[in-house]
Amino acid sequence: MLEGILPDKIFLPIKNKVGFSALNEIRFRADKPVILSQMGQKFFLSDLGKTRSLNEAIFATSSMIEEIIFRASECSIYSVSEQIKKGYIVTSNGVRIGIAGNEVEEGGLVKTMTGFSSVNIRIPHEVNNCSLKAYSSIVTTDGVLNTLVISPPGAGKTTFLRDFVCQLSQRNLPYNILVLDERGELNIGKGLGNYADVISFASKKNGFENGIRSMSPNIIVTDELGEWEDVEAVEYACNCGVNILASTHSDSMDSFLQKSAFKMLIDEKVFKRYIVLSMREGPGTLEGIYDENFSRIMRW
Amino acid sequence: MKWVLLAVLFAVCVAIGYVFSMKYKRRVQFYSALILFAQKLDVEINYSRERLKKLIENMDEKTKKNLFGLDKNFLNYLSGSEQLTQEALFKNCPVLKPDEKQMVFLFFKSLGRSDVSGQSKEIGNFLKRFDENLTKCAAENKKYGSLSFKLGIIAGLFVVVILL
Repeated sequence: MLEGILPDKIFLPIKNKVGFSALNEIRFRADKPVILSQMGQKFFLSDLGKTRSLNEAIFATSSMIEEIIFRASECSIYSVSEQIKKGYIVTSNGVRIGIAGNEVEEGGLVKTMTGFSSVNIRIPHEVNNCSLKAYSSIVTTDGVLNTLVISPPGAGKTTFLRDFVCQLSQRNLPYNILVLDERGELNIGKGLGNYADVISFASKKNGFENGIRSMSPNIIVTDELGEWEDVEAVEYACNCGVNILASTHSDSMDSFLQKSAFKMLIDEKVFKRYIVLSMREGPGTLEGIYDENFSRIMRW
Repeated sequence: MKWVLLAVLFAVCVAIGYVFSMKYKRRVQFYSALILFAQKLDVEINYSRERLKKLIENMDEKTKKNLFGLDKNFLNYLSGSEQLTQEALFKNCPVLKPDEKQMVFLFFKSLGRSDVSGQSKEIGNFLKRFDENLTKCAAENKKYGSLSFKLGIIAGLFVVVILL
């Protein structure tokens, strides 16, 4: 998965001693130990695999971080410069690499980022049937209800959305699904089934407008709503009669309700279902399903 | 037997002259191809922002042929199977002088390292230098290329006359 991106000294111990499938995240900080994250727990990486001993840990360097970013861009930084401005790169197989460094601003806008000091590699996982518990709450005889998946970062929002689209496809439900894959994370692995059209790397605003006009979808699936512009795009889609399945970052339902950007959508009861995920028993733990009045209709 | 030997000697002299003249011609071909290569990269990076590997793989065969394997050697580096060194990059390219190798090496080393506008400016700067070199090589080819071939023929005739 990360072959050709990670240097051998990092890649080989992970591949041979730890296994990429067991990992959720790999963090590199300049002159600091490489840290592996597995089911919410943190370890250092050593030549022999995971360790808790700092003395055995492999340390990252600035040049290692720069080379990882260069290789992750397939040796073509210019092709991902817009992503770098936003602080991440997504590789061709859907691995999202968060980046920190010195932002160069001009006229209030981020021009580029230099002096990379940290990278955070999030390993995507396909978890088949992870959306099944919530499936019957979202899909009714009338169709697919507008649904928002709420969870903290790394708790399985994207995996849930991806699996849900596949579930619809497997049941041969005749919906045209438009997947707006702004960060290139949704359409990976075995794909999204037979009924999904994918627009990648477009902003929500452009993707919603162009997608509705060109593909006439019944459902739009998109990841990580957060800004006012995203909310406006959702409103636009609803006005066009398109159903929405989306996700957003939030630690809990209470913190979600504090988000001012969503106030209008909440007041107008645009979303009929809210699905809350957490890390309590590992990524993807289903905490509850709520209706538009925030009454819990299912709990585990 | 004598005539056969004379014919062989004449042919060898002409061949030597031809080889020398080809050296100049190949330098012109190389720089023409390199300029086309850089221009195409510049256009595609600005328009499609496609990855370097794909852009280089999609170059036309004639351009690739006249790059004397530089494209393949650079692709080896992009795929991670080789380090980017002058020796590795120019292993099949005998036509460049050491200072020219250094410049072309810096060009390849700069590819993919900056954003679109930075990359485009960098390619533009290298293109100016490649153009200057092409002009020089074309002048050398005009002056010495045909001269070498003619000298080869004259030398061959001279040897034949002497031996007769």
